Amino acid sequence: MDTTLLQQMLLGALLGISVYLPLRCGQLSLATPGFYAIGGTVAALLSTRIPALGGDGVSYPISSVLLEMALAAMVTGILALGIGKVVLRLRGIYLAISTIALVEILRVVSLNLSFTGGAIGIFGIPQPFASPEGYVGFTSLLLAVVCWLCDRLERTRPGLAMAAIREDELAAASQGINTANTKLLAFVLSALVAGVTGVIAAHFLNSWNARMGNFDASITTLAFVVFGGTRTWLGPVIGGLVLTALPELLRPVGDLRLIVYGLVILMGPVLFPQGVITPERLSRWSRMLRQRLRLEAPTP
Amino acid sequence: MSTPLLAAHNLNRQFGGLMAVNDVSLRVHQGEILGLLGPNGAGKTTLFNLISGVTPVSTGRIEWRGVPITGMASHAVAGLGIARTFQNLRLFPTLSCLDNVMVGLHRHARQKRLAALFQTRPFHQKQAKLHQEALALLELFGIADAAHRPANSLSYGDRRRLEMARALANRPELLLLDEPAAGMNPHEKDQLCELIRQIQAQFQLTVLIIEHHVPLMMQLCDRLVVLNFGKTIAEGPPEQIAKDPAVIEAYLGGAG
Amino acid sequence: MDDLLQILLNGLSVGAVYALFALGYTLVFSVLGVINFAHGAIFTLGAYFTYLLIGGGVGSNGLLAGFQLPVALPFWLALPIAGLLSGAVALGVERVAFRPLRKRNADPLLALITSLGAGVILVNLIQLLMGAESHSIPTGSLGSLPAALSFGGARIRTVQVLLLAVSTVLVGLLTAWIDGTRSGKGLQAVSEDPVTAQLLGINSGQMIQIAFGLSGFLAGIAGGLVGLSVSIAGPYFGIGYGIKGLGVLVLGGLGSVPGAVLGGLIIGLAEALVPSDLSGYKDAVAFGFLFLMLLVRPQGLLGKPLPNKV
Repeated sequence: MDTTLLQQMLLGALLGISVYLPLRCGQLSLATPGFYAIGGTVAALLSTRIPALGGDGVSYPISSVLLEMALAAMVTGILALGIGKVVLRLRGIYLAISTIALVEILRVVSLNLSFTGGAIGIFGIPQPFASPEGYVGFTSLLLAVVCWLCDRLERTRPGLAMAAIREDELAAASQGINTANTKLLAFVLSALVAGVTGVIAAHFLNSWNARMGNFDASITTLAFVVFGGTRTWLGPVIGGLVLTALPELLRPVGDLRLIVYGLVILMGPVLFPQGVITPERLSRWSRMLRQRLRLEAPTP
Repeated sequence: MSTPLLAAHNLNRQFGGLMAVNDVSLRVHQGEILGLLGPNGAGKTTLFNLISGVTPVSTGRIEWRGVPITGMASHAVAGLGIARTFQNLRLFPTLSCLDNVMVGLHRHARQKRLAALFQTRPFHQKQAKLHQEALALLELFGIADAAHRPANSLSYGDRRRLEMARALANRPELLLLDEPAAGMNPHEKDQLCELIRQIQAQFQLTVLIIEHHVPLMMQLCDRLVVLNFGKTIAEGPPEQIAKDPAVIEAYLGGAG
Repeated sequence: MDDLLQILLNGLSVGAVYALFALGYTLVFSVLGVINFAHGAIFTLGAYFTYLLIGGGVGSNGLLAGFQLPVALPFWLALPIAGLLSGAVALGVERVAFRPLRKRNADPLLALITSLGAGVILVNLIQLLMGAESHSIPTGSLGSLPAALSFGGARIRTVQVLLLAVSTVLVGLLTAWIDGTRSGKGLQAVSEDPVTAQLLGINSGQMIQIAFGLSGFLAGIAGGLVGLSVSIAGPYFGIGYGIKGLGVLVLGGLGSVPGAVLGGLIIGLAEALVPSDLSGYKDAVAFGFLFLMLLVRPQGLLGKPLPNKV
């Protein structure tokens, strides 16, 4: 498979997780592209403006990328903490609208600031990896870590609390769950994932501009989760991988990328209200798989 | 007289021009089963909502063991040991019954973060214990078979029982039951009555219960409080309430 | 002084379009309690319909490259037809993106997602058929009217006067219809309480369709007018208005008709008042208002207080 496509798929999976986390608590936030853009901007600025990060000047050291990721996480995390405290008081439609507004404000501001390169953006972001394979390896590792953390989250108290809030916020609160804090946790984690993903994307794409976090990106990432589902982290991961690959595979038919996404978002909620990947379906599939394997195994 | 477990002083709650709860005072003593009676719209559920922090009070004071808790958020009220069920059932519909009860155990399920991350032995041991507690509660209410089925697949009566199991998982001292027998047949109602007595003894609970079925309340409660139009109109042991002219008026008269 | 007058006139005419646009949002919100995210796409369609109806030819990129309708209607006739066509598309959106969810009693938030999907499909269909390039409605479309009028020392483009006039008339008609007719009252009843309205014999399904049809009509007209005023900058032309319209909507109050008008005018004027050295930030004005409003008074200037769901 084309490694560039593979890399985009991995980035898609990470962004899918970022949209998924607030949705696990039933909060439709479209802020992911905003935090993604901030993460990318942090990386672009640090790597092009601070010579010390360049190491010996031959190739860009991975340690510097890690440092950028830490800083991007800090910036997006603190920002999400502040913004989340305010916007998460809003419910449903109001929250969705306020996050759209947030992304738009960020976009307009970054278009107009000189240090972000305005409409042109920042060019010549150094490459820590000589080939796409390097990026794929690094991003796979990051995705694996994020998935592992999500898995732990879902199997422990805060994960169950999030699901409870999604199902009935008021009832969740009366079980002693601090709903405001739990939602804030999901929102901040979502921002962190988007931020560090932006760092990798900026290096990978070599340039970064304000359009990286536009409304289009909100739609694409939302499609990942609507397709994959909000029940388990595996849903948005598979959604991100599949939906990033699908339009490329359809390319011979013409540029149908966004039409395909549109169809997914339009039909998904009706046909699969919980997404395609649900824990029930996963266990059914694994049962079927085991049966198949048992049938094929030689009987003693 | 000792400090009551829960005391409400002159509670008021208005919605627009409507006085949903009008100057109601209430004392709930440790270990008793106190019944709230009253026609529809008398303000019983609103009173529950005020106590559990779901609806803010307009004026008045609520005390828990003599300490003011007015205006506390509902998760904090739950943290004191006040658990409740809802009149129109508020389960987590697509979560399994077991998970519903596990959410009820939220306050008691705290684990060390690193232990949870790396799934240490103590983590698993505690998790297993919590599961057992949840299963035992399902067992107590006769719905253990449905542990892994989603809550919305249960029958109406079982859903009511599941909600009580979830409330008990909070390990409360005070249990607020909002029409737990609604939609049950007479036989189920008798069983429920028995069950409430049983859990009250077993978990050393204080119970505040709203129920329309008067015979059940007469049989179950130590004391009754009767509300009408947001006001307390009578208070006392069941025998006395049964003879109270104001109560008879509220339930049967209405025209006068 | 003249400058200020000029600014106010510009602001008013832009604000009138915002108001028209937000009215469409608010109609649907008032009956269904959700936002139709395909609204911006329908606005775009209105512009393209108008363009085609007055005899404009398709550029060289889409599948329909070089296509041109055999007839060329005058603008005053093309605009209402484009409005009607847009209304028909809005009815289609209702059918595929809203009705199936309503039948299942699904979470209203899901309609937000499905309508977004419908909008994305519409926009990209336009792109597929007509290419991504911009199309401009020729300035001669208004016939013999002069390009600009002088008004107390300020010059205002005829198009802007038209925008203002058409918006005012439509808003007036809509208000009169809602307050003064049986079906308008039915709409109000459905927005107050759909179940009770149904019990009273009001066909709420029909009311929902009326709301969608009207909202699509308004979006189509707004699209045609804006398309005439500035050029149609490609299929994504309406998205920006769509998002900005949300700001207008929230500022005025979701579901409030006078609120949508007030919100439109305030944001139009506020944008016009942004000093020219900060004009890059003009697009953020609506969102700034939106954000502020959500924090201070989520129900908006003229909206009803948010229900406390217990």
